[in-house]
Amino acid sequence: MKKIPLCLVLLGLAGCAGVQPWERDVLARPEMSLDDSPLDAAIDDHIYFSKEASSGGRGFGGGGCGCN
Amino acid sequence: MKDKDNFNATLAAATCALLGSAATPVAAEEEAGRWSFDSTLLYYGESDDRVQDISAAVSALRDFGDERKLSATLTADTLTGASASGAIALNRPQTFTSPSGRAVYTTAAGEVPLDDTFLDTRFALNASWSQPLARLYTFSAGASFSTEYDYTHLGANLSLARDFNKRNTTLSAGVAWSQDDVDPVGGRPIPLSQMLDVGNGANKRNGGESKDVLDLLLGFTQVLNRTTVLRVNYSYSDSSGYLNDPYKLLSVVDPLTGDTLVRVPVGQGPDGVYVFESRPDKRTKQSLYAEVKHAFGTPVMHFAYRYMTDDWGIDSNTAELRVRWPLGDGYIEPQLRYYTQSAADFYRASLVGGAALPRYASADFRLGDFDATTLGIKYGHGTASGNEWSLRAEYYQQNGSVPREQIVGNQANREQYPDLSAVIVQFGYRFRL
Repeated sequence: MKKIPLCLVLLGLAGCAGVQPWERDVLARPEMSLDDSPLDAAIDDHIYFSKEASSGGRGFGGGGCGCN
Repeated sequence: MKDKDNFNATLAAATCALLGSAATPVAAEEEAGRWSFDSTLLYYGESDDRVQDISAAVSALRDFGDERKLSATLTADTLTGASASGAIALNRPQTFTSPSGRAVYTTAAGEVPLDDTFLDTRFALNASWSQPLARLYTFSAGASFSTEYDYTHLGANLSLARDFNKRNTTLSAGVAWSQDDVDPVGGRPIPLSQMLDVGNGANKRNGGESKDVLDLLLGFTQVLNRTTVLRVNYSYSDSSGYLNDPYKLLSVVDPLTGDTLVRVPVGQGPDGVYVFESRPDKRTKQSLYAEVKHAFGTPVMHFAYRYMTDDWGIDSNTAELRVRWPLGDGYIEPQLRYYTQSAADFYRASLVGGAALPRYASADFRLGDFDATTLGIKYGHGTASGNEWSLRAEYYQQNGSVPREQIVGNQANREQYPDLSAVIVQFGYRFRL
């Protein structure tokens, strides 16, 4: 019973799977990567972590800090 | 005629695909066995002589071929300056005992009290390894360590991802664990105990305390079409242990005037009644993060949104937009971020003297109700040798407010929330060896 929703989700996504491997010219550009600037992202996360009450979301934070 | 055109187009696409697939291993071989580096130098400066930070970071990535990758990042931070202590501004100067318990410092009349004994150097090291585990599965493992004068962090993480739908869909799950040790300068103050004279450590405990954090992350990435990709993450984070900021204070005020109660020091010491903050020793956070990348021809737009909620009563919303425009041999990327959070249930601008003390209270402005806006621009330039340098400038502004029902007497006429603005300038260089 529990497996049905996951199957449905995957089936629904198959509708989005129209992009073939040879159609990935744009997606393959470095700036289209979801992690194209990991160091900028880490620096931003560190600054906002030390000044705001929220953190994370994108992935795991790297390195703790006594600043919060 | 039309059919023939279609046939030619299909043939051309098929040829490209074959050439492309033949070319890939060669490119992969060139990538494999080489180190690529990403380095950065950052200046972060807050207005009014508050926190100033200079950071340097270098990240190294080595591709061992067959999608096996090692990455490591080393960061060094040097912080100086002052940070808001949590005590309220008054029409008279205020004297406090410094966190070390060895000296006093004074805040001028009308100023928000800042603790200017703040000075720290932090080193952090992160390393991670990722590799395919079977066809369509990617496994990664990482470790993190950081150290500063009064704080040590040790963490580890594992994650597993699986591709579906011709690799247009990826589902991932990860777990991270960390243990942090806090060993405050001058000892750990007993929560809600009063600040004492220089040399009197009766309300402080020596030695460190620890904080454990468990993070779980479920991720979903979907290619929506040839130019758009979406990522959605759900995260759950559970912190337990010592969650106080040992240097944060609350002013104890007169119920009518709202001014801090006067205390007569025996020797050198505070001239008002101030108590150390008290936070719960557990916190559970949950967040939902969504991110979209879309190419409009050559320009690329990135939009991200995060909703976070925790059991301290804090809810936050974050939205971020970046657009990367090609410009000559490089690109220009304007960036905009908006953040808003509600206050923690136990946030108190001050405590009223004579009333029963609450179990938990903090005047840390980071647990208050505020909005923050970041406006930035980045310029990146590719060099003839295939490296890239970049320059990023950002301006960060925080505006907060204290709930009306917490404002007592004269506090209404003074600055209640220490608004913050900061400038961030970052130079980056990416290169290969």
